Amino acid sequence: MSDEPLLRVHGVERRFRTGPTVVHALRGVSFDVAAGAMVALVGRSGSGKTTLLNVIGGLDRPDAGTVHVDGTDVTALDEDGLSRLRREKVSYVFQSFGLIPVLSAAENVAAPLRMARVAPTERERRVALLLELIGLADHAQQRPAELSGGQQQRVAIARALAASPQLLLADEPTGQLDAETGLSVMALLRGIVESEGVTVLVSTHDPVMMALADRVIRIHDGHLDEEAAGQRYAPGPDAG
Amino acid sequence: MNRWLARGWPAPHWPSIRGRARTDAGPLLLTAAVIAAVALLAGAAPALLRAAADRAVQDTVSRAGTDSNVLVRANWERDDGPTGGRVRMPNLAEDLDDLRDKATWALGPDLDAALLPPVATVDGPILSISGGSVPRTFQFTYLADDLDGPDVTWTAGSPAGPAVSDQYVENPYDGPPWPVQVGLSEADAAALNLGPGDRIPVRDGRGRDLDVRISGIYRPADSADPAWRLAPALLHPVPGVDGVGTTRFAGLLSRESLPDARLAVDEDQLRRTVHFTPVPAALTWDATAALVSQVVKLKATSGASSERDQALKWESQLDTTLREARARNSAASAQAAVLLAGVLTATVLVLLLAADLLVRRRTPVLGATRQRGAALPDLGAELIIESAVVSLTAAAVGLALARAAAPGVSWAWAVPVVLAGALAGPTLGTLAAARASRDRRQPANPAARRWIRATSQLRRAAVQAAVLLAAVAAFVTLHQRGLLPVAPDGDTGELTGDLILPISALALGALVGALVLLRLLPLGARFVLRGALRSRRPLAVFSAAQAATTAGRALPPLILVTATALASFALILGATVTRGLTDGAWSTVGADARLDVGADATSATPALAERIAAAPGVRQVVVAQVTDSARVFSDSTLFTPRLVIVDAAAFQRLLATTALPDAPALTRLTAPGPTPGDVPALVRSSDGDLRVGTRLQLPRDDAPAISLAAVGTAPSVGGANDVVIVDATALANAGLPAAPNTVWATGPGAAQAMSNTGVTADVVLREDVLRAQRVAPLTTGLLRLAWTAAAVLLALGLLGLALAAAAGAPQRWQTLTRLRTLGLRPRDVRWVAAGELLPPVVVVAVCGPLLGALLARLTLGPLDLRLLTGQAADPAAVLPWWLLGLVSVALLVAAATVVPVESALRRRDRLSEVLRAGE
Repeated sequence: MSDEPLLRVHGVERRFRTGPTVVHALRGVSFDVAAGAMVALVGRSGSGKTTLLNVIGGLDRPDAGTVHVDGTDVTALDEDGLSRLRREKVSYVFQSFGLIPVLSAAENVAAPLRMARVAPTERERRVALLLELIGLADHAQQRPAELSGGQQQRVAIARALAASPQLLLADEPTGQLDAETGLSVMALLRGIVESEGVTVLVSTHDPVMMALADRVIRIHDGHLDEEAAGQRYAPGPDAG
Repeated sequence: MNRWLARGWPAPHWPSIRGRARTDAGPLLLTAAVIAAVALLAGAAPALLRAAADRAVQDTVSRAGTDSNVLVRANWERDDGPTGGRVRMPNLAEDLDDLRDKATWALGPDLDAALLPPVATVDGPILSISGGSVPRTFQFTYLADDLDGPDVTWTAGSPAGPAVSDQYVENPYDGPPWPVQVGLSEADAAALNLGPGDRIPVRDGRGRDLDVRISGIYRPADSADPAWRLAPALLHPVPGVDGVGTTRFAGLLSRESLPDARLAVDEDQLRRTVHFTPVPAALTWDATAALVSQVVKLKATSGASSERDQALKWESQLDTTLREARARNSAASAQAAVLLAGVLTATVLVLLLAADLLVRRRTPVLGATRQRGAALPDLGAELIIESAVVSLTAAAVGLALARAAAPGVSWAWAVPVVLAGALAGPTLGTLAAARASRDRRQPANPAARRWIRATSQLRRAAVQAAVLLAAVAAFVTLHQRGLLPVAPDGDTGELTGDLILPISALALGALVGALVLLRLLPLGARFVLRGALRSRRPLAVFSAAQAATTAGRALPPLILVTATALASFALILGATVTRGLTDGAWSTVGADARLDVGADATSATPALAERIAAAPGVRQVVVAQVTDSARVFSDSTLFTPRLVIVDAAAFQRLLATTALPDAPALTRLTAPGPTPGDVPALVRSSDGDLRVGTRLQLPRDDAPAISLAAVGTAPSVGGANDVVIVDATALANAGLPAAPNTVWATGPGAAQAMSNTGVTADVVLREDVLRAQRVAPLTTGLLRLAWTAAAVLLALGLLGLALAAAAGAPQRWQTLTRLRTLGLRPRDVRWVAAGELLPPVVVVAVCGPLLGALLARLTLGPLDLRLLTGQAADPAAVLPWWLLGLVSVALLVAAATVVPVESALRRRDRLSEVLRAGE
């Protein structure tokens, strides 16, 4: 791990207006994440976890504050810059997998590599490696509908890793999975952090996930309530 | 559910109904607009067609002229006297009144109401007027209606009186000509240069002079009185009626001079007839069946015309005329029903898609409501209340507008649309709510996943097989049974159960075509995707993947293909009818103009033809002897075809200058027959009985029959289906010279040349026939319906495209947004979206019109379009390529517009909002 933080969030605020009501989703959130760390972002539903991930990944723009990823100010990038950032440095894993149903597992994993115009030979090598990594080498030619939910999420993770991002943002990746499958997916993420050196920021309700994280950031009503830096998390009252 | 079971009936939550309706006012209003528009069309079209059918019946009867009159004839009582002479019978006029009353009573109330009050006529033989430079004929006539004949003013002299004052007179058979007084019209008197007291120098067919004297000169009080139409020569001299170059004059008998007229001619030469003229305005489609039945009954009870008794002898073509009108109306009704069935099918599909879009918008709300514990029956009831209000209100508005446009609106056709509008939304919405409370997770067990997929595929295959079977049954019924009612006289004009299947054939055929395309689209999309995966262009891969993903959606392609194919069919139907009218006019006339020469003037036909040929602008002139219902025998069968004796080479040249098909077989008529002594003939028959190779016998009076050998297929002549054509020279060589009675002429001056012959009553001009056909009520009604149906179907197709794009937009932009999280640039998103939307539309734009053309080829035959166009045979489909191209272009333009519009609308959404909505 480098001493320079890979992710630096400073004074981020985000408000949503619903008619006359203004909802403060993020209120001056600031924190740093070092490269190669696995950070769990926990909080109740509606506490601002997904909003924070969206702002970090450039899917949403903050009303105030800055986000730096590997030294790049995400909040200052235009759409093309953000696209380049997402192609090269930041990738996502969503709760609902988001695989392209007509493409095989291998072709889904290869999608970011195609976008980055990686040569076919290198692309195939990288896809095979990732499928091996997630334990689905035997299912390479199967389509998402032929895979279980856990397998689909593994493919989604492999796709997120395909372009060798520095930061992986995972928004409740086990939300649609049963406990056993969710555990295997989380173990996979943990393994990836260690084998690939990727920085992972994962929002979750799952106490096991929190236990696997290097650090837990608790968010409540848009504030960072508690930060347990540099230590494995012990389940608290929100873990349930 | 427990609450529901305890209550036993649904308890809708009214605030929820109002809230949902307010939120989704747009889609609901769209649904209502579609239902109202189609209810307007479906409600007004049958009523308008019914009105057109009434007008068509009236038009047909009007055009038939005196052919549609109902005539009653009866012989006179014999007038043999006791001393070997003929007795003057002073009560002949009263006898005639009795005959008129008797005939009127026999008509029955229905027929009586459809006919004008009767006019009784007594006609003498055609006499020739001696002297003068041109042939002139004379006939004395008595007219008697309820008021004793049309009013006249005597400008000179007096009405015809009796020749004798005695009540009883017997005239010997070999006595001098019996005098008879007649009145002359001013025009006739001036033309003959005669006045009161003068004798008209007339002679009968046997050369005997008659003593016909002029009692006075009259002027008709109303020359438009229908009674005068029965004897126009009583008003003025009429040229041509007794042959080319002749002029007929007539003298008006009175009640008093009628007995003298009988003695003036041979006993059987004075004919009495009661004429009933139909009142076209009083005829309606509904009344025709009863009228046909009554006329047939009267004719069946008619005495034989050859018998010398006083029984009523009924004659009329009214039943035939009305039957033909009914056949045309039935055909037009069926054709309209086929078009309406197509429009309704497309509308139902569009309403299903609209309901699908509405439910997609509502699924989160419905799911949340269900998860909070709302019972499905309650939710279903709420949705049904909402959709029923929308559908019924819209249908009521549509039908009210239809009623304003056409009284007697029919609501039956609107039922499927209202049902679809009322039930589709609640059904899909309830299913969506039910799914919300079920576990949506993908089973981990591969076998379970395969089972789910197989079940879904089996369900879809079963529906498709059912549609296919229904379509096959519909097409078989259409071709075996046709669309006309089995018993024409029993046809009520309403859509009966036995017609539903064949009428649905077109719509079912379009659905089957759409289903075939639905099966092929995913295969094609996957094929393209495989090719794209080998390429180095990521946009090609993502576009093809998106297209392949959405290719499996059933409703959008179903709607697009069905609506496009049916719109194309409607355009083809309209073009075929339009072209058919032109061909029908050619077929009916046989040239640009035709002259039908009277039987007693055939000797002048060649000279007449020469005069016409010499006129400017005439290209070809051909004379022929055309005999309808000629008697021709084979070994065991009697045929009654139209026999055409014509110069074959000249006829072929004539055909070459018309739009009628060439008949190369005509050259065989001048070649030697297959057997020496046989005259070559071309034959044609609707039922195939007259075949090439058949040997026929043409009988002659007082001479052996002439043998004919059928050496080829004859062209249709004058629209007749059964035709025998022989060469005039070949037949003359065999001993039967032709007596030409028909002149055909082509060229821009043909109509003028024919009209100048002085026998205008017998000239038939192609332009006149075409003009009359074009404005015929049924033709214009069907054409308007075809063009309207095409426009509505195209609009439904475009609406379906927009709805499909709107329904698929959330998922499409969800996927595109995920691609953007992988690094896809914003400007590339539009290309991927276009790659998803455009290919299926391109396929539909190509295949839809082709499917429409295929359906036209398969269904136009049984539609009996020839009954409307006047063609000899069912017309081949005419493909209006530029109109079909417009349909395709409209679809492509709409699809190309959807992408930028959708991109512009979605660009405002933040990626995070799209992703959050999709979670």
